[in-house]
Amino acid sequence: MPEGTGEVDLDDGTAEFHAENICAVFDAFTVGNSLSPNRPLGFVSGRIDSVDIKWSGVTKNFLGIHDATNHFMGDFFQIGNVTIAVTATTPKSTGHGFRFVSDPATTTVNYAQIGSERNGVFFS
Amino acid sequence: MNEEKSISWNKLQEKWLTRRTLIRGAAGTAAGAGLLLGSGLRSAAFADEEDEGKHNKCKALARPIPHITTPPGQHFFFPGPPDGSAPPAGFDPSTITDFKGVVANADLIFGGTGTDLNTGVGTAYTFHTDWRFFKGTFVAIDRLEHKGTLTFI
Repeated sequence: MPEGTGEVDLDDGTAEFHAENICAVFDAFTVGNSLSPNRPLGFVSGRIDSVDIKWSGVTKNFLGIHDATNHFMGDFFQIGNVTIAVTATTPKSTGHGFRFVSDPATTTVNYAQIGSERNGVFFS
Repeated sequence: MNEEKSISWNKLQEKWLTRRTLIRGAAGTAAGAGLLLGSGLRSAAFADEEDEGKHNKCKALARPIPHITTPPGQHFFFPGPPDGSAPPAGFDPSTITDFKGVVANADLIFGGTGTDLNTGVGTAYTFHTDWRFFKGTFVAIDRLEHKGTLTFI
């Protein structure tokens, strides 16, 4: 992604992600298609016109996580407030023609967090 | 179709296959109850930042974490606390390995309006996404360190 797309401020407990024109994404149409390797993915047909996600409000700290089984370590902060504003389109040229525009005010958080971590070869 | 077009088509197919393999292998997917363009929208994780172009013209391809969540049999953990207190969800929020940097992830449900671009008819939709980004240094499949921001949709 371009520089500046995502920023995390651990001291402030906030993060932001902004991107435009993420092209060539799969529109798999259904959750089942998206999750199952036994279903066809279809063609690269969708794009995300724009997306803005904002994280704020630390609700719980997970400091000094060191997981030797999964080879990752770091400090993490569970986040209580997130909003997302996204517009996504499957162009008419695909034979479908669909646009989704979100309402950020409706955002409900199942789980969200920010953090800093090391994994793989950087795990020690 | 002439040979040139055939070659181009083959390259395009190869690109798709590569991307598909990456998605299957590295990016994972969103989970939940989206409809058209809902959680079916998936994008691979590519880096594109300050050192892009220094190493080569192609985007650095990150490697997936070793863990496989089954189902759906893909390299990611579902969102949850990193301390393993809610298994099988949680643990490493990153979907890429050999990485050091900052991460943010959000498992969200939200509403909006879906419009049929052919008819102009709009309908209320509920969207469920697992969106993450990773910013920092990673060792790509070329075994070189790269700096960049990658996203998982």
